[in-house]
Amino acid sequence: MSSTIEFASSFIEGAPPGELADVVADVQALTSEEGDLIPSLAPAFERYNEAQLTTVKLPGSSQEVIVSEFNKVDGNRYFDPESQTSFEIDHITQLDQTASAAQSAPLESQNAELIKSLLKSLGIHAREHYPSCSYGVYPIENDSAVAILLVANRYSPNNFWNGRFRAIYQVPVSSSSTNVTGKIHVDVHYYEDGNVALNTTKSVDLSVPSVSAESIISRIATAERDYQEELNRAFVRMAEGAFKGLRRQLPITRQKVEWEKVGGYRLGQDISGGKGR
Amino acid sequence: MADQQFDSALFAALAGLRSQPGQRQCEALHNPTPCAWRDHRADHLALSDLLRRLNPRDTKKNLNAINSIVPELQEDLLSSVDQPLEVRRCPQTNRDYLLCDYNRDGDSYRSPWSNEFDPPLEDGTVPSEKVRKLEVAANEAFDVYRELYYEGGVGSVYFWDLDDGFAGVVLLKKGVTPGSQSSGEWDSIHVFEATDRARSSHYKLTSTVILHLANQSDALGDMDLSGNMTRQVEADLPVEQGDASHIANEVYFGKAKDVVGELRTPLSETNRDRAAQLEMIKSMQK
Repeated sequence: MSSTIEFASSFIEGAPPGELADVVADVQALTSEEGDLIPSLAPAFERYNEAQLTTVKLPGSSQEVIVSEFNKVDGNRYFDPESQTSFEIDHITQLDQTASAAQSAPLESQNAELIKSLLKSLGIHAREHYPSCSYGVYPIENDSAVAILLVANRYSPNNFWNGRFRAIYQVPVSSSSTNVTGKIHVDVHYYEDGNVALNTTKSVDLSVPSVSAESIISRIATAERDYQEELNRAFVRMAEGAFKGLRRQLPITRQKVEWEKVGGYRLGQDISGGKGR
Repeated sequence: MADQQFDSALFAALAGLRSQPGQRQCEALHNPTPCAWRDHRADHLALSDLLRRLNPRDTKKNLNAINSIVPELQEDLLSSVDQPLEVRRCPQTNRDYLLCDYNRDGDSYRSPWSNEFDPPLEDGTVPSEKVRKLEVAANEAFDVYRELYYEGGVGSVYFWDLDDGFAGVVLLKKGVTPGSQSSGEWDSIHVFEATDRARSSHYKLTSTVILHLANQSDALGDMDLSGNMTRQVEADLPVEQGDASHIANEVYFGKAKDVVGELRTPLSETNRDRAAQLEMIKSMQK
């Protein structure tokens, strides 16, 4: 039973973008003889939601807010500085994507002004580059630093693909210059007649000359642009390099083989002499 | 993925081989791999859906986990899930060959080079004399194909008898620079059935390619592109095929790149146009 929970938890945490409900249904079907296993998987759902920056709608609002380790208040309660609201989510049933028990929660931080400016700059950056995304800026580490989060999801299950872009940055707040450190993750799943997954992680460490919202977001925007360009080059490199290193498009003779005569070919003779034709 | 060259190779080689005299086969379709799924049909559907979703890089680990949760499914798992192929050296010929369910009998595997089982079996299942002759010829032919297209790697072809024809599997495995900054591994599994009909032979080919590509650098960070894809072709000779090597390239590189483009648009102008376009589509759908 305990190993079943361990394995089922790893499946929940390994669910591709937008496919958690499908994975849950499969796990339920495979474990049906053990009774309802799902409540025992609550810690895995919580880890999934916080790591994947799950978004939920605030009650009575169309606005989606992020769930993460950085804006956790306690228990199942999280905090959104932009709407100055705290809210609860049921980690297991968050699949319906609505938060509950919302309360007013004024932003209390010595960096409140910086956080508000960051939210404003980040909002402009997000609208320019991410067709559908959610973002947040939170005080962390005893109010000595801020976390900047952005998650963009695109789900197209009818066309058998889903994707997620996550960016997680941390900025220590000091009087002079600072460093933005963090990670960008891209996960793409394509599963028509197969199962193809792209998973990337890129660490960033950016020095920022002054602790202002404009300079921080500007450095982040540049880093994200550079990363996307590098990723696109990597696709080409892989297609041209590693992929072709595995299998040639044309045989080493640079001529297509006449397969009717394949029985007549002999290794090391016709081939090396290029006499295939 | 199989490509036009490969499909042509397979079909043409088969046609050539089978036009030799004395190759008549008998009737009635017989499937050599009995379906044991009926008892666990719901489980099996959930299993295949789950494996289609979880990261293909972790298939082996996930199979072990599922096996521990639902041990009854073990036989199904072995025969229905495509995993990277394992290599073994034939003690008789000192040549490498690939292991799969089709050359397995109990805990032993049959070498295509010697037709012997390792560990040795007294009464291991081997193809009939006629089909073994075809198997030997096919191994020679695909050895040429492998050298031409893969410049290395390991290949194996296994045939078995059907009541009205024969069936076989063509396996190819190749890896490049494992452990370095850029590495790749290709495994392809092509299963075919050739059955005799009144005036022609009917061929059914199922091709699976398992691909793992990893890339690492300071500018890029870590990038892993892994997957498996399956495609089926059925044909009465002569056959026409699409070029599925392009499909593999398109899916693995083109599709993943497109989706990243959907997530983040590099140009804000484009983004505005796209937003306007999406808005228009949405309003038309209302």
